[in-house]
Amino acid sequence: MKLFERIRKFFIGVESGMRETSVSLIERELEEYENIFSLLTMGIFAGIPSPPTGIVIRILPYMQREVSVMMKKTKDLSDAFGDTAGMFDIT
Amino acid sequence: MKVYFFLGKGGVGKTTISAAFGTGLSKNGHKVIVVSIDPAHNLGDAFDTTLSNRELKINENLYAVEVDIEKMTREYLDDLSKKMQHTYRYLTAMNLDRYFNILKLSPGIEEYATLEAIRKYIGSKNFDTVIFDTPPTGITLRVLAMPRLSVLWSERLISMRKAILSRRKMVENVKGKVEAEVEGEKIVLTSDEKEDEIMQELIKYREEMLELNKLFSSTSCEVHIVTMAEELALLETERILKSLSIFSITAKVIYLNKFMKIENPPEEIAGKIHEQEQVVTEMREKFKHLFIKEVPLLRASPRGIRDLLSVYESYIVR
Repeated sequence: MKLFERIRKFFIGVESGMRETSVSLIERELEEYENIFSLLTMGIFAGIPSPPTGIVIRILPYMQREVSVMMKKTKDLSDAFGDTAGMFDIT
Repeated sequence: MKVYFFLGKGGVGKTTISAAFGTGLSKNGHKVIVVSIDPAHNLGDAFDTTLSNRELKINENLYAVEVDIEKMTREYLDDLSKKMQHTYRYLTAMNLDRYFNILKLSPGIEEYATLEAIRKYIGSKNFDTVIFDTPPTGITLRVLAMPRLSVLWSERLISMRKAILSRRKMVENVKGKVEAEVEGEKIVLTSDEKEDEIMQELIKYREEMLELNKLFSSTSCEVHIVTMAEELALLETERILKSLSIFSITAKVIYLNKFMKIENPPEEIAGKIHEQEQVVTEMREKFKHLFIKEVPLLRASPRGIRDLLSVYESYIVR
């Protein structure tokens, strides 16, 4: 019985580890999406062609999260390789 | 509600023709407002009165207004700034506030304000006819194109937002509510489309633009082109019609303003008269589906209701 319990816990551990990895990948993907979304809508600040001004003006007040992601991404740009390596657990 | 846009190059007489058109319709019992959305207003001159940003009753059933686009832009940006101060608490820390100042100089802000002015008067229940005296062609075409472009953009952004929210939902299912820390403050991020303010704004804006786009391409909206019987004007008219057709907007009437009707013209202007005749013949052939109306060069510029009504009855309604 003890052995079975250990095997069960082992598989639960493996499953939770795998889940953690896949969720962190989704989180990274989510951040990338948020970053692209803000670059698309607020690219005007960086000279990227922007959507019609009407859209920008309407959503600008609610973009704080996206702006903070964009700022963070911009800071990390100097270490883009390290950033990508970290995503795939390459050390 | 019937909506008319008077389009044309600067100086061809859009204001006079649109004011005369409005005066005529109001005499026929329609409740009309003539709205000048040209930043270089001269609608007041045509009605021989002083107009402002407030609707002014000119005559029975006839109102006019000169929209202050600059003031509208300022108001939008002030409003935006207030909303931003409320939501972007960390704005000053990130030095973003100074960037927002450039928004007022951003390309498209004037077109946005113009479109909002158009929406305001189209939505008004006080009139059954709205006539827009527009800025020179280039700006007006950009304004008329804006709803369609905005719909395309908002649709793309909506699908992108959906992708963001669906990924948030996945993370939420495993780890619980997604939180973000902004300047030391924790914010719970929603994965629900109905709670996501950006998604709601995008959907709302798309609906507004769809409605406007529908109106622009419907039979309730007519574009009248004011031009002159000159070769260059003919080429420009062709370009206007082509641009309008891309956005499914149809023109109905072409006014050949300042048309010279002279029997036995002096030699100095004989060439001009000949060019005029050629252009008219070509226009009638090329634009068979449009009404082409000649408004002659008058001895004096029409000013005031009486003059405008006379122009309407003599050349426009015929």
